[in-house]
Amino acid sequence: MKTLIYIEIENGNIQNGSLEIMSLAKTLSDPCAVVIGSDVDNASDAVSAYGIPVIEVPCDKVSDDAEVFILNQIIKDEKPEYVLFAGTLKGKDLAPRVAARNDGACITDVIKADTENGVFTRPAFGGTVLENLKFSADTLKVMTVRSGSFEKLTQGEKAEVTKKEYALPEDALKVILKDSVKEISEKVDLEGANVVIAGGRGMGSKEGFAMVEELASLLGGEVGATRAAVDEEWTTRIHQVGQSGKNIAPKLYIACGLSGAMQHVSGITSSGFIVAINKDEDAPIFDVADLGIVGRCEDILPVLIDEIKKLKGL
Amino acid sequence: MKILVLIKQVPDDVVKVSLSDEKTPDIKNIEKIVNAMDTYAMEMAVREMEANGGEVVVASIGDKDEIRPSLVQEIAVGANRAYIGNLDVSGADEAALSAELLSFIRKIEEQEGSAFDLILTGKESTDEISSQVGALLAEKLSVPFVSSAIGFTKTDAALIVKKETEEGYDVLETTLPAVLSVTKPEYDPRYPSLKNKMKARKAEIPVIELEKAENKVTLTGYDEPAKREAGVKIKEKEAQDAVQKAMAILKEARLV
Repeated sequence: MKTLIYIEIENGNIQNGSLEIMSLAKTLSDPCAVVIGSDVDNASDAVSAYGIPVIEVPCDKVSDDAEVFILNQIIKDEKPEYVLFAGTLKGKDLAPRVAARNDGACITDVIKADTENGVFTRPAFGGTVLENLKFSADTLKVMTVRSGSFEKLTQGEKAEVTKKEYALPEDALKVILKDSVKEISEKVDLEGANVVIAGGRGMGSKEGFAMVEELASLLGGEVGATRAAVDEEWTTRIHQVGQSGKNIAPKLYIACGLSGAMQHVSGITSSGFIVAINKDEDAPIFDVADLGIVGRCEDILPVLIDEIKKLKGL
Repeated sequence: MKILVLIKQVPDDVVKVSLSDEKTPDIKNIEKIVNAMDTYAMEMAVREMEANGGEVVVASIGDKDEIRPSLVQEIAVGANRAYIGNLDVSGADEAALSAELLSFIRKIEEQEGSAFDLILTGKESTDEISSQVGALLAEKLSVPFVSSAIGFTKTDAALIVKKETEEGYDVLETTLPAVLSVTKPEYDPRYPSLKNKMKARKAEIPVIELEKAENKVTLTGYDEPAKREAGVKIKEKEAQDAVQKAMAILKEARLV
């Protein structure tokens, strides 16, 4: 039996989560990657270097409708048992549609796999409860996988790339892209970052939040934010960490002026070392922090920034 | 346009859910509210109706007495009328739910005597967080689907949808009927006036009996995530002292 892996391409590169689902696929059954797009030869090559055979499908006009159609054709040809997607916005858009079209089932945000028993674990209720789920035996099993849950695969013996072409019937394309508006120009890689410094409502103002940004830049890390900080427009939503943002697993996470709402905490629990700075001694963020500093961010952060500068000889 | 908004009643997501002694999510004492993203879908539908006419119907599946208050609330927000699909949906997976919703929608359309032009749902619910139901429903209805919608406008021949992306938004064109899953737009859902609330309370909401569909995923049990232990907590009068102590720990752990 096969496991199809949908590879997401970002600016010509393999998206991080797609590397993680490759390692899960290897433990499930015979993996086979699918790369769809125009000018994706390099990406297909890169995937095959992980020892996973690739089906490359040239497609000039990539859209959800086109990709669902193509994936569906591949599923008809390959008859896989599993189809895996990274738990990105796109993965979550495609996965249930692919499942429905094949009368299959879909599990969202898998974080753990007991492959021997076919039991998959996912978070519910803001991540405070985990559900253990099992697919019905004779159904197409589709999953999206939460980023940071599985190790990235290491490269292996180069596998084969097979090109396949599928003609897209007009009536398969129901939604047409007219315009793509970029409001946020910065590139933020929260999921791949080793260091993330995040700020919440306690930063008080855009100027206060700037201290979070300064510390992040000093430590070579990315800036994270809570929903509240994004709603206040101190930063953009691309920085949001937690339930409706990114799930992250940096080596060092510093939480500034955020209380630790469960929707936020669920996105950071895989971090290596958590530092929390908060004036409220009873803030729930301290329950998950390896190092807590009780104090006002406007007092602590300037001193911390100075100390880091000294350390770096700045 | 005739719009159907599908809402789900969920435990208030401000309250932390933990497992009961029976190892199931202990939600019975948590207040039930309308799922946040469904309230955005509702507001979006009502704004469209206020601007361009048409109708908004709101519907939900669940125990008929338990979910009535949520539908009453959305009538107060502006829905013309509501329908209850009476069915115990506890333990239903997304495949079953979407099949049940499909038959529910068909039955509503039968009673209404006309089909819906547009179906809106929240992008995800705060309890199950699966963001599947809108997509599954669109596939089952064989109609166009756009997720993460933050707005839409109808032109003579088409529906233009704004879809939130990582960096901004896409403008997409599609046809009706369609299903959109809605995420937080630039506005908040309104608070209904007391007058509307009082009026809505008396609304007659038809109950449609539904049959259970088959699950494709079964639950083998619940767990709680591994707890992180709280570590060192530094509390000093002077920021300087607190930072010195913290720096020593961070250096020791080779984190700075």
